[in-house]
Amino acid sequence: MIKRFLFFSLFAAVTLLNVYGQAKPANYGNIPDELVAFDKYMKAYKYHFLEPMQFYGAGREKIAPVGLKEIRIGFLGPLEGTNLVLMGKQMLNGSTMAIEEANKRGGFNGIPYKLMVHNDVGLWGAAANEIVKMDDEGVWAWLGSIDDFVSHVAIRITLKLEIPNVNTGNPDPTFTETNIPWVIRTIPDDRQACYVMAKQMVDIDKHKRIAVIRTGSRYGRVGVVHLNRTTTRLGYPFILEERFKDGETDFTDRLERIKKTNPDAIAIWGNAKESALILNQIRALGMNQPVYTSDRVISEEFMKIAGKNAEGIKTTCQYNPDSNDPKLKAFRIAYRQRFGIEPDVIAAHAYDGMNILLSAVQKAGLNRAKIRDILTDNRTFQGYEGVTGKVIFDQTWNNIRPIYAAKVVNGKFEFGPAPRWVKEEVIYKKVSREGEY
Amino acid sequence: MKKIVRSNYFKITVLAVMLLGALSLGFILKEKETGKEYTQPGMVVSLPDDLVKRAAIPGLPAPDDAEKAVPVYGNWKNFTTKDGLPSDKCYCVRVSGDKTYVGTHDGLAVYEKGKWKTYTSKDGLSHNGVVSVDVSEITGDVWIGTLGGLTRWSAGKFEIFNQFNSGMPNDLVYMVICDGPDVWVTTGGGAGRYNTLKKEWEIFTEQNAPMHEPWTYGVSAGDGKVYIAAWGGGVIEYNPKTKQFRDHTDPDGFMEIDLQPDDGLVHDITTATSYADGILWVSTYFGMSRYDGKYWKGYFKEDSGLASNFINFLRAEGPCAFMCTDNGFSSTNGTNWVTYKKNENDANGVAIVTTGGVKKEIPQSPSISHNFIIGVDGQDDVMWVATSKGVSRGEKLKL
Repeated sequence: MIKRFLFFSLFAAVTLLNVYGQAKPANYGNIPDELVAFDKYMKAYKYHFLEPMQFYGAGREKIAPVGLKEIRIGFLGPLEGTNLVLMGKQMLNGSTMAIEEANKRGGFNGIPYKLMVHNDVGLWGAAANEIVKMDDEGVWAWLGSIDDFVSHVAIRITLKLEIPNVNTGNPDPTFTETNIPWVIRTIPDDRQACYVMAKQMVDIDKHKRIAVIRTGSRYGRVGVVHLNRTTTRLGYPFILEERFKDGETDFTDRLERIKKTNPDAIAIWGNAKESALILNQIRALGMNQPVYTSDRVISEEFMKIAGKNAEGIKTTCQYNPDSNDPKLKAFRIAYRQRFGIEPDVIAAHAYDGMNILLSAVQKAGLNRAKIRDILTDNRTFQGYEGVTGKVIFDQTWNNIRPIYAAKVVNGKFEFGPAPRWVKEEVIYKKVSREGEY
Repeated sequence: MKKIVRSNYFKITVLAVMLLGALSLGFILKEKETGKEYTQPGMVVSLPDDLVKRAAIPGLPAPDDAEKAVPVYGNWKNFTTKDGLPSDKCYCVRVSGDKTYVGTHDGLAVYEKGKWKTYTSKDGLSHNGVVSVDVSEITGDVWIGTLGGLTRWSAGKFEIFNQFNSGMPNDLVYMVICDGPDVWVTTGGGAGRYNTLKKEWEIFTEQNAPMHEPWTYGVSAGDGKVYIAAWGGGVIEYNPKTKQFRDHTDPDGFMEIDLQPDDGLVHDITTATSYADGILWVSTYFGMSRYDGKYWKGYFKEDSGLASNFINFLRAEGPCAFMCTDNGFSSTNGTNWVTYKKNENDANGVAIVTTGGVKKEIPQSPSISHNFIIGVDGQDDVMWVATSKGVSRGEKLKL
């Protein structure tokens, strides 16, 4: 009997291995099959980002220094002089909390971690100078930043200086599309948000005339790229795309132009404050169309400014802030106790990202190349369960876990699973890939 | 054990495993044969001929064109901190006359008459991290791009330029070149041209040039034009006389693919440009491009002799381009290739010579000091390469 059981078990195991062991073709970045560039017409000559970059340089042989009094970890964030200060402070809080907890656990073999805090200013490539300062300070890795421009400038020099970077706040899809093998990102990017938003607007809510108003910054310019491409591929390109400058307060002229086009939905892509002001002015102009926004509206600032006008707006969120996960609940309580405010999405991801970074330092020791190796091996932190949920790294070390849909109901954001791209609903079908999803 | 082997269950299981294995193998092979392997990681997709045809590019050297053969270098001599370098991490190398300048993480090393001498911020450099060096043909001044400003070394004195004292675009100078009386720098805050006669800076950013962003990392000059490698923005071609710009970008517009192999730049994340013999060579972290003013040709590790698609830097001399990749040192005339690789476990390596599609390996002992190449420069029959573990000097071999 036992023999029979063993043989059937072996048979089942071998069969399953054969079935699931097949390399399943996967699109980079969770791109739905029907949105793969040019795929309807031809295959590309070369597909990038399908296997992780390696680092072949020297450095792993370097011996860890002795006699250190502190283990320095860099931080780059918008802390003053920009419109992202609120988010920057949340990122710093999340990072600080992870550092403090690690030090309570004994730091690095008894040596405390110290956060070397640098302010970023998205002007004239100043972020590059801050990373050089971090190198001079001897940081082992660094966390940051939020602004697209700053983050891009910073990772180019992090490559040159070979300092591992964990990004927890920049949603620019192109950030990890640079092939730099020293950078990982733990917050899902705007590519994922755009796919969900387009699905919601066009496929589910059946909107055909979509007008967009977005910030003219890189956040808006790059952020809506995949939204525009996706709605276009679904048959409904934007009917109008208006821009504004961060810090503006009066958007009437552009909203009146939008009003004239008679859209059946309006998408806003911007930071919390401007998005709230635009929403208020949309309603003040008597426009009652459904409004969709980028995820930066999930903030107290937006709800405070938008008030009742926020009701019904739809957006996305990189995680579920209302999850019953005990880790998240404990984090929120501890964060409120420590900083006296509610953690936002940036704080939660910074906390997770810093914990990953510190864990990598703990495992690898004081060697930047080895810290990089652990961060990017796609094993050690693959499936990492943080307060924001599971981390699922793709081959560019971008977190591509499923994101959430959000809607304001009774003055509060409600979160639920984002609508999925289901093969049966595609606008065309690829014969060669039938049955795969 | 014998009982188990003789049992029917065992036989059935073995048969099932063989059948499933054969089926799986057949499935994989069938896909490969029919070119349906849609996303084979890192590989160029095998496309049916009727989908993409790589037309012959006029003007490329013929495989048997001996006059344009790719030279092979050997007799490598490697230098590290043990030999007098301030750091093993070498960012750049520039040869001028009897002197060789090597930029390292911890200072500038100058090789002359068989000896190294180091200069640091204590001597007057704007920062110890030296990432680019060029020498003015007009004045002989040495321009040193560092992680913290630009330094001019003239008549034995160091003069510092930075964004606060001179109006430079940014203090981190990724590349500096001298072009007549002009000194060009590329930084993360834009490209800058310093007119040494007027002592004035002119800055080029997304505000006044066709760049997506002001992130510039490489620059070269040739035939009256300047070619700026703009990170994410391809190549910005600038004519200083007419003040006209022309941008070159990847035509497909998508970061995740290269739609057609020879339709333009292989990618917009450019790292360096170099112009020689009427040819513009462009390196990216995704492969390399060659542009003769009319035709583009793309090169990938998978379809050429290129050591790796991740190219830190490149420099063209005459008909050849020399590529500093993260996993070997390559050179090409557009048709034939020589790639140098060091063995992992010893100091030796090979020069892989590809001529007319035929590969030949020439053993080298020693090889280059490391496979992660960051800088290159040559003069006469000598080639220097800066690596992440020292700098190497090779001599042209008579084969």
